[in-house]
Order: sequence, then structure tokens, then C-alpha cells
Amino acid sequence: MSRIMTIWLPRWPVQRRLIERPELRRRPVFVCRRERRGVMTVVAWAWAAPPRKTLPSAPAAGANPGRIPAGMSLAEAMAVLALSHGSRACHIAEVEHDDPVADLAMLEQLARYCRRFAPIVAIEKSPHHEPAGPECLYVDVTGTAGFFGGEGPLVRTVVWTLAARGIHARAAIADTPAAAWAAVHHTDTLQNDARQNDAHQGHAMGRGGRRRRWTIVPPGTQLQTLARLPATALRLDAAMLAQLRDVGIETIGGIARLPRKSLASRFAPQVSQRLAEFTGERPEPLLVPCSGELPTASQAFDFPLLLRDTSLDDLVAVIGRLLQECVAPLAAQGKGVMSLQVRLERTQSVDIRETCPPVIIDIGVFQPSGSAQHLVELVRLRIARMRMPREIGGITVEVVSAGTAECRQRTLFGEAAETSASQVGMLLDRLSGRLGRGAVFEPRPLADAQPEHAWAAVPPTASRSFRSKPRPTSGHRSMSEARSKRSHHDGPPAAYPIARSTALMAAPQRRPIWLLPQPVRLETLAVVDSALNNHADASSNPPARFRLAAQQGSHLHEVVKAHGPERIETAWWRGPTVRRDYYVVETATGARYWIFRRPGFRRLGSGPANRSGGEWFLHGTFA
Amino acid sequence: MVTRVFDDLGGLGLYFEGRETVTTGFPSLDRLLPAGGVRRGSLIEWLAGDASPDDAGGAISLACAVACRLADPRQGDQSRASQAATIVVIDRGQRFYPPAVIPWLDALADATGKGGGRPHLVVARPARDDDELWTIDQALRCPGVAAVLAWPRRVHATAMRRWQLASRASGAVGLLVRGLSERRPVGEPTWSDAKVAISPVAGEPDADLAVRRLRLSLAGGPWSGSEMLEERSTELRLDLTSGREATGRHRMPARPAAPVAGGGLQAGRLPVEEVVCRAS
Repeated sequence: MSRIMTIWLPRWPVQRRLIERPELRRRPVFVCRRERRGVMTVVAWAWAAPPRKTLPSAPAAGANPGRIPAGMSLAEAMAVLALSHGSRACHIAEVEHDDPVADLAMLEQLARYCRRFAPIVAIEKSPHHEPAGPECLYVDVTGTAGFFGGEGPLVRTVVWTLAARGIHARAAIADTPAAAWAAVHHTDTLQNDARQNDAHQGHAMGRGGRRRRWTIVPPGTQLQTLARLPATALRLDAAMLAQLRDVGIETIGGIARLPRKSLASRFAPQVSQRLAEFTGERPEPLLVPCSGELPTASQAFDFPLLLRDTSLDDLVAVIGRLLQECVAPLAAQGKGVMSLQVRLERTQSVDIRETCPPVIIDIGVFQPSGSAQHLVELVRLRIARMRMPREIGGITVEVVSAGTAECRQRTLFGEAAETSASQVGMLLDRLSGRLGRGAVFEPRPLADAQPEHAWAAVPPTASRSFRSKPRPTSGHRSMSEARSKRSHHDGPPAAYPIARSTALMAAPQRRPIWLLPQPVRLETLAVVDSALNNHADASSNPPARFRLAAQQGSHLHEVVKAHGPERIETAWWRGPTVRRDYYVVETATGARYWIFRRPGFRRLGSGPANRSGGEWFLHGTFA
Repeated sequence: MVTRVFDDLGGLGLYFEGRETVTTGFPSLDRLLPAGGVRRGSLIEWLAGDASPDDAGGAISLACAVACRLADPRQGDQSRASQAATIVVIDRGQRFYPPAVIPWLDALADATGKGGGRPHLVVARPARDDDELWTIDQALRCPGVAAVLAWPRRVHATAMRRWQLASRASGAVGLLVRGLSERRPVGEPTWSDAKVAISPVAGEPDADLAVRRLRLSLAGGPWSGSEMLEERSTELRLDLTSGREATGRHRMPARPAAPVAGGGLQAGRLPVEEVVCRAS
């Protein structure tokens, strides 16, 4: 009997955008589709913040997607959001256009990633609910669950592995894809049923009543276990559900109790077909993405390879040979490797219950690479810093994604510039391979007055593509940015990223070249002379002497000159208001510092009066 | 030992032979450096930091400005090294603030015109000391990199020698900002082409915000024997607006001097200017 695991990725269009742009996690994100006459309808939306109020029409507490169903107009959705989360939520909401092709492409990429759990991974064939696209993966785990210690550990591993990559997923295992699909979409219902049964039979509740994201339907019991689920779990369309509801049938069990012979004649063939797929009487073909498109090479050893007796060069040599096998067919198509995965398969332990997951090395490059030597070097950098297993039974190299390699016709003499550009690309790959992809970036300026947010770290490849081919940025601009553009029409448009930004940035002589990650509070030791007290706005003057408050016995700085203030204030809709008066001060030793004062300052001086709201902070140095 | 090697090589002439010299963009600095500029494929050490442990006294600003000039595609001939237009900044402490430098690159691109592109600025943030040394080595080894700017914490002779060989192979220039404690007596071996000690000039009453006065002194280099130089020094005015050397013509009108009482600041007569920025 076959066993199928269904992985459900709720609101996948939104999740894909959150994976690509993690900064959106703080905002409500709407993925919308433009319908006829320009009406924007919601495909999916999500926000991590809990609602402030519960609407009377809300179907269930905590069911955010239920409040704004797919297909609702964007204006209506904004009104619902403002009622439940406050008007500020509408101001910071991010509206994205639907891109089903990109959604499907990333889902296919995820399907390839999930082949670490079982060799056959398929994508949901036809979307059940409009207008959202496919959101499920089918994994054929027949006979493979034992490698993970059983179906329970397997399904938990799947959910946790995806969660570690920032993907919210639910999983269920059943005999058929249809049964697993029904179970995974109603894990909460099944869990509640199980609790009620346990309470009825006097069993203790396990795990403190926590919500689980997985469920397992025992073999051959899908009709009994899932009988109480609603008929929507059979993936029937809305017209058929209404027809069943008219005759009082609302659950899968109700449909199953009908005579099979009259089922096809009384209802459309879809009902009997779905029921047959649910019970397994009719096989449901799985749509496996064309896995042969990207090459894979593997090497199995007759005896376990003891890494204690194997040098790193020997291991890398084997990986290099496999990489060459993968790169060669891609190069023939004019493609290069964008990301690949190296799996070091560990040998099975003597204890069959002990699971031995493979060691996985994910490699990504900034531009498609057709050089096996370069990729081997990246693998070597990663292996040299990893804790390796004692022995391995095989090595698999799999190309996860590929891109069109940049090919240019060579000139007769001058190919130096192209060589330099490719060398820089390889350097960036090496640096990011060892330091991490987030540790190597190209800074891009942003039109933001707050110093911490005045620039963004952009992957080098992304920034270069923007430079070479500027795109319209309105598609990625948030509503708050669009609104600010209307209100502050005297300045250039705020956009991300922007290639030439000198006009948008503050004067460079007013910005330090070193900025502290967090402002450091200063202890002001100013000696105020009498003339200061007569000054109308004496409270805004910078300190005459200061030192770092956090360091006892730190160097005392004596200010001889100051430039300022420069008021930097953020808008109210960005959350906690930032209001600072910045000064560039020069000390007696010639050092220049960038300090600021928070509002609420009444008197210049040290002591408790200064801590009430007029504190001074060191934010940067003109190093 | 180093003296003997240089004597065998015929002094500075053979040592510097075959490598292109480009101007730093600062005539005062060019006159100070032994080669009359910066050699492609060499290391320059900037010694600073006596004002405060949190401040390099303008050394990093000057090194950044020199790096921008080295990445200028109009610099030098059309060789491979002069085509490199990438600046790599190794920022171990995660303090580097790019908005202070990006306008300099934009100004450079504006001066270059439509034909030339803007130099690329890449920032790498290693988390450990050994990663920092490795990153500097890798960046210096890349032919597409014009300049590598770093302020490493711990440097040993082996690393310096590796960096010297790496930069010589690729043509990249390593600009290393180090503490003044690294200052050695003139004549001691060093792997860099020059050591330049930097200290800010303080106390000018009519100092302009856009101009930074720096005192530079040559504190070491690969000279030897008869070429042994006494310590030379000069003063440089760094224009923080454009990243170039300030001249008298561009000098801003001086503000009224604020009388200083008892060495402190008389805040009542501060040259106060107010700029209000509202974030969108």
C-alpha cells in the first residue's frame, strides 16, 4: 500500500515574497490581482500581528485569512484590516502584484529541495480554490519513512526543516494524495477530535494541548478517520458543494454513505471521481516537475569512506568529478550553475532506530557559473569549516537552479575588462561562501533621513542588474511610501533602490564614516558659564565636555567647536518617533564626533536632570 | 637584511620598476610618498588613532578618498589594473557607514561622464579575526579590485607578506589603517610601500565643517641605504564634500571666531545652523 505525504504551504504567494524580502514580515502583505475595470482583488494576504478587535462577522478567532478571503476587493480588505488592526496597519501595508509564474517556479525549487525526504515529489495538479495557485506538494514516502525512524519523525522533520528555512508548512501522511490533502487542510479539526476522544475515554492530554502542524492517518482508515471533515476537503467546486448542501450532505462521511451506483447519476461525475481518489479505488497521477532538466551526479562507495583516513583533497577531488559531470551538460546548453547541493550520505547506524540524515552543503553563486573549478573551491571552503561525520557512504551533487551564462564574443586584444568583472564575481562567491551571503553586500542609498535606515545592503548581483537596467520602482513601493510621495512632493521620489542618489542624501561632511551600531550614551561634564543662562535657546547647545557613560575612566573629550543642530525627525506612521538634534563636534585633539540629543531637554548639565529626556548620545566618528 | 636585499636590487629604482604609479588625487600626499604616488600592487599603511581609541583621526576618510581615486577609470593607462573599478571595504567591527562615501563615488562618476561607470563599492563583514585576514588576502588577490580598505586588528608578518605578494600579483592596492603603536623606527623592515602617520590638526578657530585638516608624516617604507629618508611631513586639507584635496578657492568664508573661555566652549556664540529633515 502506498503512503503519500502532503505538504501544505498556506498562502504560498505571500510566503514566497516574505522569503525573498524578509523585511516585509513586519508589515501586512497583500498579493492582489488586477481584474477587469481595474478592480484589485486579494489573492492572499498575511500578517504576523494579532488583531486588536474581533469583528462580529469573523468566522473564528485567530483565523486571519478567514476575515479577508481570497477574491475580496482590496478596498474592502483594507477596511476590514483597519477595523481589526487599526488604521496604522493600512498605512504600512505592502501591496504586491500577483505573479503565478514566479510562485510556481519557487514551488518547483522547493519540490527539488524536498527530494531529500523521498525521491518522488510532485506539485499539486490543479488549484482547488481560486484565485490562488497550487500550494501543496505530494511526496511519495512509501518505504522511505523508515530511514527517518518512522512516519512520525519524518513528518516532524519535514515541518521543522521547512520552518528553519522560514517556510510555514503543514504536513499529513495518508494512503492517497486526496486523503492526505484533506487531512493536511484540517489538522486543527482532527486534533480537536482526537482530544475529545481522549477526554471521553479518560486519557490524559499530551503535550499541554499544543497545536500541531502535522497529522498521520493510519493505513486503510482514511474513511473512518476523515469522515467528519467537511465536503470541501474533497476538492469539489463551489457549485457541487452547494448542490450537496441542498440535500443536507456536508461531510465526507455523508457522501461516502450514499450508494455508489446512484452517486454518479444523482450528482456530477466529479463527486464520484473525487471519492474514488479519496479511498484509493482510482489512482491519482502525481505531477512530478521535470527533474531531468537539472543534472545530478552521485557516487556510492562499496565500503564506508572513513574521513579519518581520507584527506580533504581526496574528498574534494571526488566532488569535483561529480561537479564536472553536472556542469558539462549545462555548459552545452549555454547555462551555468546558480545553486547546487552536495549531500554526503551517512552510513546507516547499527541501531536501526537511530536516524542518520545526510550532511547537506548548499552552495549559491551571484552569477551563473560554468566553471567546475570555481564551484569546487566554494565547496572546499564550506567543508573546511564544517564538522564532518565519521564516515560516509556516498556523495550526491545536485544542481538546484541554473541560469543563462553570460557569453560574450572575445575581442582580438582587449578582453581585460570582462576578465576583471568575472574575477570580481568569483571573489564575491568565495567571500560569501565563507563569510555568509549576508556578510558581503553592496551598499545602496535610500531616501531616508534616519541615519540607520539611510542605506541598504544589497546583494552585489542585484545592485548591478539595477544599475544596468533601471526598473520602475512603483511595483515594490509600499503604501506609506506612495503616500509620503504625495505629501512631500517637493523632493525626489523615494524609491528602492536608486542608482544616483546624491541629491537625496545629506551632505557628506555631515555624515561620519563610522557609525556605531547602537548610540552610546554620553556623560556630559559641561561647565556652563554665565552667558549661557541668558541665551534664549540655551538647552539646545552641545556639551562642552563629555565622555562615554558606559566606560568608567574613559577619555574625557573637550569640545572646542560645534556645528549644528541638524534636526532629524521621523514621521508618526513609522512607529516610535525618532527625534534627534545632531551636532558635529570637534575636540581639542582634533577628533570629530557626531552626537545627538533627544528632546525633552531642559537644562544643560550632568546628573538626574539630564536623564529625564535630554540625554546626549554618541552616534558616529569622523574617523 | 632588507637593506642588503634592496642594495642588491639597485635600490628603489628596481623595486618599483614595472609597476604603474598613479596619483592619489592629493598633490600633498603624492609629494610625500616615495614613489610620487601609489604603485599598483602595493600596500600603504595609515597609522592613526592617538586621539581616541574610537577615532582614527581622519585616516579612514583619507584612505577612502584615495581608494575612490584609485578606482577612477581615468587613472593611469589602459592596462588591466587600471580597468579595475571595484573597492572592497573589510569592515570587521561593522562600523563603516557608506553614506559618507557614496557621494564621492557619484561625484567621480559625474566627472567621468557618460562613458565611464561608477566604481563599485563592496563591503565585507567578517565575524572573526582569521576570516578578516583571509578576506583581505582574497580581495587583494583579485585582479578586478582596484583598492582594498581595511583596518585589521591583529596583523602579523606572515599575513603582511602574503598580502604583499597577493597585491603584487593582481595589481590591487591595499590600504591598511592601523594604530600608531605600529609605528617603527625608520629603517626597520616593512612589507608596505609606505607608512603614513596621520593626525588631525585641531584648534583652528575658523575651521570649516567641510574641510578636515590632517598632518601627514612619512613613518616608514622600503627605502634603504643612501635612500634612507628622514621623517618628512606635510599638511593636507581633505574636502569631505567631494573627497578631494581642498584648495584656497573652494574655501568657505570664515565664520566669526567663537571666543573660548578657559579652554572650553562658549556655547552661547556657537555657529548654529539648523537643518530640518523629515523622514518619509
